Amino acid sequence: MKQITLTPKKFSSIALEFDELIPDEIYGWSKEDFERYEVPVGNTRFPLTDYYEIEVEGEAESPEEVKLTIDGDAGRVKYIGCKMGAGEIIVNGDADLQAGAEMTGGSLTINGNAESYAGREMKGGEITIKGNVREYAGTSYIGEWRGMSGGKITIYGNAGKQLADAMSGGEIHVHGNCDILAGIHMTKGFIQIDGDVTRWPGGQMKNGAIVVNGRLERLLEGFELDGIVNDPVVEGREFTGKYIKYIGDIGVNGKGSLLLNAEKNRHHL
Amino acid sequence: MEYILKNGIVYDPVNEINGEKKDVMFRDGKIVNSVSDSAKILDVTDKLVMPAGVDVHCHLAGPKLCVGRLYRPEDERKGVKPKTDITRAETGFSIPSCPATGYRFSRMGYGTVVEAAVPPLEAKHTHEEIIAIPNIDIPPLTLFGNNWFVMQFAKEGNIEDLAAFVSAWLKITKGYGVKIVNPCGSEAWGWGGNVHGIDDPAPYWDVTAREVIRALAQANEMLGLPHSIHVHPNDLGHPGNFPTTINTIDCMKDIKKNSEYRNQTIHLTHAQFHCYEGTSWRDVTSGAQPVADYINKNDHVTMDLGAVTLDETTTMTADGPMEYDLYELTGLKWANKDIELETASGLVPFIYSGRNPVHSLQWAIGLELALMVENPWQVALTTDSPNAGPFIRYPRVISWLMSNKRRMEMMDNKEVHGWAAKKSALATLDREYDFYDIATITRAAPSKIYGFEDRGNLSVGSLADIAVYDLEPNNFDPTVNAAAVENAFSNALYTIKDGEILVKDGEVVKVVSSNHVHTEVQGFEDQEKRILEQIMPMFNKYYTVKFENYIVHDHYAEPSTVYKVNASK
Ligand SMILES: [Zn+2]
Ligand SMILES: [Zn+2]
Repeated sequence: MKQITLTPKKFSSIALEFDELIPDEIYGWSKEDFERYEVPVGNTRFPLTDYYEIEVEGEAESPEEVKLTIDGDAGRVKYIGCKMGAGEIIVNGDADLQAGAEMTGGSLTINGNAESYAGREMKGGEITIKGNVREYAGTSYIGEWRGMSGGKITIYGNAGKQLADAMSGGEIHVHGNCDILAGIHMTKGFIQIDGDVTRWPGGQMKNGAIVVNGRLERLLEGFELDGIVNDPVVEGREFTGKYIKYIGDIGVNGKGSLLLNAEKNRHHL
Repeated sequence: MEYILKNGIVYDPVNEINGEKKDVMFRDGKIVNSVSDSAKILDVTDKLVMPAGVDVHCHLAGPKLCVGRLYRPEDERKGVKPKTDITRAETGFSIPSCPATGYRFSRMGYGTVVEAAVPPLEAKHTHEEIIAIPNIDIPPLTLFGNNWFVMQFAKEGNIEDLAAFVSAWLKITKGYGVKIVNPCGSEAWGWGGNVHGIDDPAPYWDVTAREVIRALAQANEMLGLPHSIHVHPNDLGHPGNFPTTINTIDCMKDIKKNSEYRNQTIHLTHAQFHCYEGTSWRDVTSGAQPVADYINKNDHVTMDLGAVTLDETTTMTADGPMEYDLYELTGLKWANKDIELETASGLVPFIYSGRNPVHSLQWAIGLELALMVENPWQVALTTDSPNAGPFIRYPRVISWLMSNKRRMEMMDNKEVHGWAAKKSALATLDREYDFYDIATITRAAPSKIYGFEDRGNLSVGSLADIAVYDLEPNNFDPTVNAAAVENAFSNALYTIKDGEILVKDGEVVKVVSSNHVHTEVQGFEDQEKRILEQIMPMFNKYYTVKFENYIVHDHYAEPSTVYKVNASK
């Protein structure tokens, strides 16, 4: 097991980019390798040691044996864990744009908030965010119609707009509230939102399922009432209580399921 | 500066040089037959030498590209290459950034690339993009096939006024020649419709594709333009469309050519998309044979392939209704653009896959056409880039044409669906192109088709546009080395343009401005003036731009190469 700890010593208002510092790349690196490494900053590179104290303990034979901890705020560090395939990354603070984007395996834990595009085009692995995420978590690349296809994102705080745009697999669990258009264009996969939702979950969804345990303000016109269901099983997961089930988005001949906690969403009936 | 390219194996079909070991000399941008002792020697002993490539049909500059880049950021992120001391950063795969477009053609050894579809209203923008694309000469073709004035003249059978209009509009747009796309069909799209076959009239104008094509061809020959009319026929991409294709070429049979250099009076573009037999995508089969048979019997037609390369790409054409059909078929995002009084275009991303039966059949048809048309001088290699595949795949198409083994392997290994072998004759065709044939369909024939006497050949006095590839034709068998063929044609050892070395060892070593290549008819000025006066009321009534702002002024088209055409000849 190799434990790498980066402790911030200088803040850069121009974002650092960490997509090269993933277990897949760094499992064989010694302390000296890290000290020699220059990290992308804006349109140039500077020594990583300008920004971090670096500690390396133990050895790793493969990426699976790496645990990288950023021990502090990384609110201006982009692409943390981007494209990682194995191992573990922990951020003891906030993370900037694109955390865990295109991840295929391993785990990324952010103990603060994450900026937009966390888990973009994720294919596998696990992302846990203790705070809030901004827009486009678990979404596709801009313009792309093929989005997140696997893995799991858990958000303990609130999620911003267009969560999981074009999702085609995997799952997202938001413990807090969620802004507009969660699961827009989704074709498969599962989204659970425990808090309240502003409006329009599932816009143009073709398939997959969205469960809202809180109150939904506005439902899209493309969702047709399917009925009231008791203790539903959705994508293999059991829920207790009554849910209002809709099918949509009929605007695109969608067969997706949208389930709303019945008690909190009586106003839609 | 003087150079001598020493000891290469030269393929120059215009001069019937077929793999001879010889030197090529050039001075001040032109090929010469002798140089002084101080000439710089480029030793290319035993390497493959050809004139620089000439592409007859590509979509590389203008509004469609711009819309494509805007609405396909997911394409832009592919092919990212950081800047170097010489080149700017590159982005994009099927719709690369402007600098990337120039570098990539240059790396493949190309010197001239025709932009195939310029709506006059957007000509300014096309020339702006040409300014941003380095290293290749670009002749833009101006779109005429759905133009209101053209339809009016064609309806009246008024060829002289139409010729004056074409002459004036080529000057206004700084265009090289006459492009026709789905004649009357793109106009019908303004009414939500399309036309089918060449005798289905456009709404309101009550004029048919046959009338428009014939009238424009007659005007083209009256002016004696260096290129013939360049036609994307009706019914593109529709099963059962091959009779429309033959009717389109055949309706030209009696029109007399007025050009010494080229043979044809009609160029059929992206023929692959126009050679389908059947009634639906379920019963579709190849219609390449009857079209190839027709071409083999008639020398008034030339064609380019529009070969499918089996990539994820972007379709873009001034065939608006076809793009809507494609959008319905794929369900992917669609962009539609109306060009007032002139045309209608559309864009849809497209994923050609070897697992898909129809795409595999299309792949086979593109190659069938190249192998069935006997005379390579009637063939030009294209992918209708990016419609059937991005232009960086030309070397791959070359490798397929040169190797029957590779084609059979693809069919046997299931790299393509069984329809390729079952519904086309590709598996029965064992013809293989040699380097002379390849030089013909990528250099000599394209330049002849366009009436370029000064390029596509290594004649004394021609432009020193030369490509050298890292293959030794005398020690190399292209029929069993498809990957090596593709690699060599993708990365020229040298690309020389106007006597300057732009690429060395597959890397761009110098960046120069591209020339805007256009024609200028002389001797028709009075007719042009009269016709402009005559149509100005209609222009002012219907266009949302002022005529003064419509014209492409000189500074949009610099540097330029102007081919003067004497209309009185
Ligand atoms: Zn076309
Ligand atoms: Zn085209």
